[in-house]
Amino acid sequence: MGTDRYAYASRLRRVDAIPKLWLSLIPLLLCVCCDSAAVGVATLLLMGGLNVWLGGQGLRTVLRFLKVPLAFLAVGCLTILVRPLSPEEGALWAVELLGRFRWGITAEYRDLSLMVLCKAMGAVSAMYFLSLNTPVTDVTLALERLRVPKLLVELMELIYRFIFVLTDTAGRIRVAQESRLGYQGWRRSLESMGTLVSMLFLRAWRQGERSFTALESRGYKGRLDTLPADAVPGKWLYAVLAGVSAAQLGALALERSLLG
Amino acid sequence: MNYAIETRELCYTYEDGTRALDAISIRAARGAVTGILGANGAGKSTLFLNLNGVLTPSGGQVLLDGKEVSYARRDLPELRRKVGIVFQDPDDQLFSADVYRDISFGAVNLGLPPEEVRRRVELAMERTGVTALRDKPTHALSYGQKKRVAIAGVLVMEPSVMILDEPTAGLDPQGVSELMRLLTALRDQLKMTILLATHDMDIVPLYCDYAYVLSGGRVAGEGTAEELVCQPGLLRENHLRLPRMAHLMEVLAREDGIDLPRSAATIGAVRRAILELLNKEEMR
Repeated sequence: MGTDRYAYASRLRRVDAIPKLWLSLIPLLLCVCCDSAAVGVATLLLMGGLNVWLGGQGLRTVLRFLKVPLAFLAVGCLTILVRPLSPEEGALWAVELLGRFRWGITAEYRDLSLMVLCKAMGAVSAMYFLSLNTPVTDVTLALERLRVPKLLVELMELIYRFIFVLTDTAGRIRVAQESRLGYQGWRRSLESMGTLVSMLFLRAWRQGERSFTALESRGYKGRLDTLPADAVPGKWLYAVLAGVSAAQLGALALERSLLG
Repeated sequence: MNYAIETRELCYTYEDGTRALDAISIRAARGAVTGILGANGAGKSTLFLNLNGVLTPSGGQVLLDGKEVSYARRDLPELRRKVGIVFQDPDDQLFSADVYRDISFGAVNLGLPPEEVRRRVELAMERTGVTALRDKPTHALSYGQKKRVAIAGVLVMEPSVMILDEPTAGLDPQGVSELMRLLTALRDQLKMTILLATHDMDIVPLYCDYAYVLSGGRVAGEGTAEELVCQPGLLRENHLRLPRMAHLMEVLAREDGIDLPRSAATIGAVRRAILELLNKEEMR
């Protein structure tokens, strides 16, 4: 939800969501399928650049969001990088643990972990292009136009809306409990947390009933059909998409030719 | 006189046997604000849901423009178009995270062509002053802003009667004034009939052309605001109170023997009454 705030401020906010969806998904797929560090780096730079250049997001914002998955990725790549070796295996660096286990880094796995890191960062960057430039409601609307079942889309929309209502409620209950010392001590915290969860469930239930009544009074007939505000056509983004894909494939070719 | 909406001996019993409405007869004049006053649990919300067809009365009649309302399934959409409800908590009503789409919902349900829906959404946003909020997600709005969006969502259906359940609850004092100004503008410009449930007694003499006192599912009293404030006993028996200004008039009469008209319940009316009294003193 941190990204949604930026999506509403994006320069591409009013642009049709479907081209944005493709401009995000196809580079993502290419990046994941190519299995190449160069393509990963190219995707990272290109999509990050588009976020700044087309979306009007600050470079700092984009970098800050790119940093978010870095810790997870670092741990993941480290486990690929450092692994147990057989005694005769050649290594760039190795260490004997407890005198028996030989762990180390080989050139092959160095390349592999580097590739995974670049690939993942490229994919994340491509995903951010969608989430930093398209509010969630526009994404769900685009999914509906792409023939995703209406039921799923409606559920996504309602869940997204009521996440905020429920977190609000949960926050208020928590403050009310805390103001009466409900979270002092582990045991009492557990008890209070249990009450909070059951209260939240009951409130959600009642909220559902009230919302249904309100929908009915506005003529709800089993479909949550609405009309979105006018979108600016975004066909030109397909040209950008072609450019990005070409650059990705170019990076792949370049890598192949350089590494033989 | 032809009333915009009228109920005759309207009854409603909940499934568990609770008699929520007991022979309610009220009438709301066209292009007027009619107050429905009552404590919590007096039956205001149940009455409103009956008027809009979410609940079906168990007895009595509802008349819209003098014609009896049918609660048959195929007639409900028309009833809901003509009688719109703005619920007390806007979070109950706003189901979409997108302000524009939420407002469009009622109009889309009427099966209108897209251009007409857009025209109505723009108009409703303009009338309620939320045009500037169109680019914000629902969860980023303040309570008062959500309330306006909820009203816009009902206005797009262009109802002839608009019902508001406790519209001023939870608003700050300026928010209350702004909202009430919006409602009087709707009444005066669009000749809209407005039913207003409230227990905020101070707004009654200012904005209600007529009012009913509801208690325990029955009509306990009715009259113009001036008539009602002359019956403090009726209001107090039903967990209501006099507007502050009318209370001042009562205290002045009882404690200090200063006789001012008891129907004066607004600052304007009290001011006039006091100036008149001072003038009379001078003449003497």
